[in-house]
Amino acid sequence: MKPGELRYIWHESTGMLWRRKVPNLISVIIMALSLLILITFLAVTLNIASLIEKTSEELRVYVYLDDGVSGELSRDIQIRLMSEQGVDEVAYISKEEALEDFRETLGENSELLNAVEQNPLPDSYRIRMKQEYIRSGVLEAMAGRVGQWEGVEEVVYGRKWFERGEKLVRSFYMIDLVLGLIVFLSVVFVISNTVRLTILGSSRTIEILKLVGATNTYIQIPFILEGALQGVVSSLLAIGMLAIIHRFTLQYLPGVAFIRVDAIAVFVVLCAVIGALGSMAALRRFLKM
Amino acid sequence: MNQEKRIIAGVYHVSRGLGKHFSLEDINLQVANGEFVFLVGPSGAGKSTLLKLMYMDDFPDKGQVVVGQFVSTRMKRKSIPDLRRKIGIIFQDFRLLEDRTVFENVALAMKVTGAGMPEIKKQITDILTRVGLYHKRYDYPPALSGGEQQRVAIARAVANRPAILFADEPTGNLDPVATKNILELLFKINAGGTAVLMATHDIELVRSFGQRIIYLEEGRVALDKEMIFVGDIRDRIGGSSVSESASRLSEYDITGGEEE
Ligand SMILES: Nc1ncnc2c1ncn2[C@@H]1O[C@H](COP(=O)(O)OP(=O)(O)O)[C@@H](O)[C@H]1O
Ligand SMILES: [Mg+2]
Repeated sequence: MKPGELRYIWHESTGMLWRRKVPNLISVIIMALSLLILITFLAVTLNIASLIEKTSEELRVYVYLDDGVSGELSRDIQIRLMSEQGVDEVAYISKEEALEDFRETLGENSELLNAVEQNPLPDSYRIRMKQEYIRSGVLEAMAGRVGQWEGVEEVVYGRKWFERGEKLVRSFYMIDLVLGLIVFLSVVFVISNTVRLTILGSSRTIEILKLVGATNTYIQIPFILEGALQGVVSSLLAIGMLAIIHRFTLQYLPGVAFIRVDAIAVFVVLCAVIGALGSMAALRRFLKM
Repeated sequence: MNQEKRIIAGVYHVSRGLGKHFSLEDINLQVANGEFVFLVGPSGAGKSTLLKLMYMDDFPDKGQVVVGQFVSTRMKRKSIPDLRRKIGIIFQDFRLLEDRTVFENVALAMKVTGAGMPEIKKQITDILTRVGLYHKRYDYPPALSGGEQQRVAIARAVANRPAILFADEPTGNLDPVATKNILELLFKINAGGTAVLMATHDIELVRSFGQRIIYLEEGRVALDKEMIFVGDIRDRIGGSSVSESASRLSEYDITGGEEE
């Protein structure tokens, strides 16, 4: 390829974008709308995922001690708890503190407690688990083990609720994945078809270019660049629309997060690649390569 | 034109079937440099099909086509652009890019070869002047008459100074005056040394010119003769049946002569 040819290819590319601005604009809008569906879906998924994470982070395991356990045994239990796998932090809660907490929880009904002469609550340890160990298998095994220890009366973490929640989360991800895949494939389909249609629209131009002896490279590059640019512009447009939707949603659901910047970059690049590949695939048939 | 006669395009024992009902059968013809040849025949005779084989948009089932150093049986897809840059092609429907100016349309043929812009400007100024459209170089094709559009197409076809110009019914969409002008332009180009092979169904149009005529009928060459018509060509070949025409071929001693 001569350097002159490269320059003409560049002119051809920019010229084509300008001449075909209307069909390009229509394609970009179609693509942007379908991409909007995809990233809205992604944003909803990410928000739900972070909500799930936050909720599970708040889980605490309570280890209630037998009444009248000696300070020595209690400290011993604390040390052993600390060395349990997955334990992040162990806090001691004396029966007095527990009663105080309870009073606070009851609020204005706390006078009821005045009727109780003796503090009925046990001393306890409150455990915060590391994120990756918050799973029903791990928790159940630990609760079983620790429950056997001398001086431990009971281990409690809201097992039934936790397991139910875990199942719900698992099926959510499953459905989400399937749906995501469907949406993703549809978007790829829409984009490559849109690109294909714009190429079909210039079949005459391609034919004439071939007639006067343009190489396949000369013919292809403008269309590939066009496809990539359509991908970039439409993905940015989709992100812009999502930003508006996000603003609007924030009024009703404060704390809803937007997509992260690095994810946006990956998304835009991916769309450019899909656009370029769509062009290439469409041209392949056209140029009988 | 007394310089040494060199064959620049040849069709040798070419057959090509299209669909169920049509085929070109054992076509033989040669065009020498600087020659002007009319390819005549009724609509559906296979003129366009034959030209397509010659600019290698299609390939024979049997036999071979040779244009310059390009040989159909040894042709790679990659060499097709190279061939197209060395020949010129025009059509009934002009095939101009309507969203580009006259200048850009003609320049395209040179741009794809990677020619430098100063060279392109100089050459196009020259060609557009010759076809009489320099003053309309910034117009778009839809603003031009049919005859003018065909002139632009011709300018584009000869921009790279081809050795041969293939013309498929170039006057098919033009009124008599424009037709005459285009034919004159083609003769002028031919006088400059470019061979021209022009297909047309219009016998009346070509009968008075005294150029070589190849008469194609139902996919066969029925006549190939340099001649001035005295009467209708159909009188000459005696009706329209191919076998009859073929029997007359020997009488006129036509195609075989130049083959090696
Ligand atoms: N792609 C094709 N498939 C099937 N038949 C074709 C095709 N192209 C041309 N034909 C047929 O071949 C015959 C010759 O066509 P053509 O070469 O265009 O004739 P001409 O140019 O002499 O009018 C016609 O009968 C036409 O219908
Ligand atoms: Mg035809």
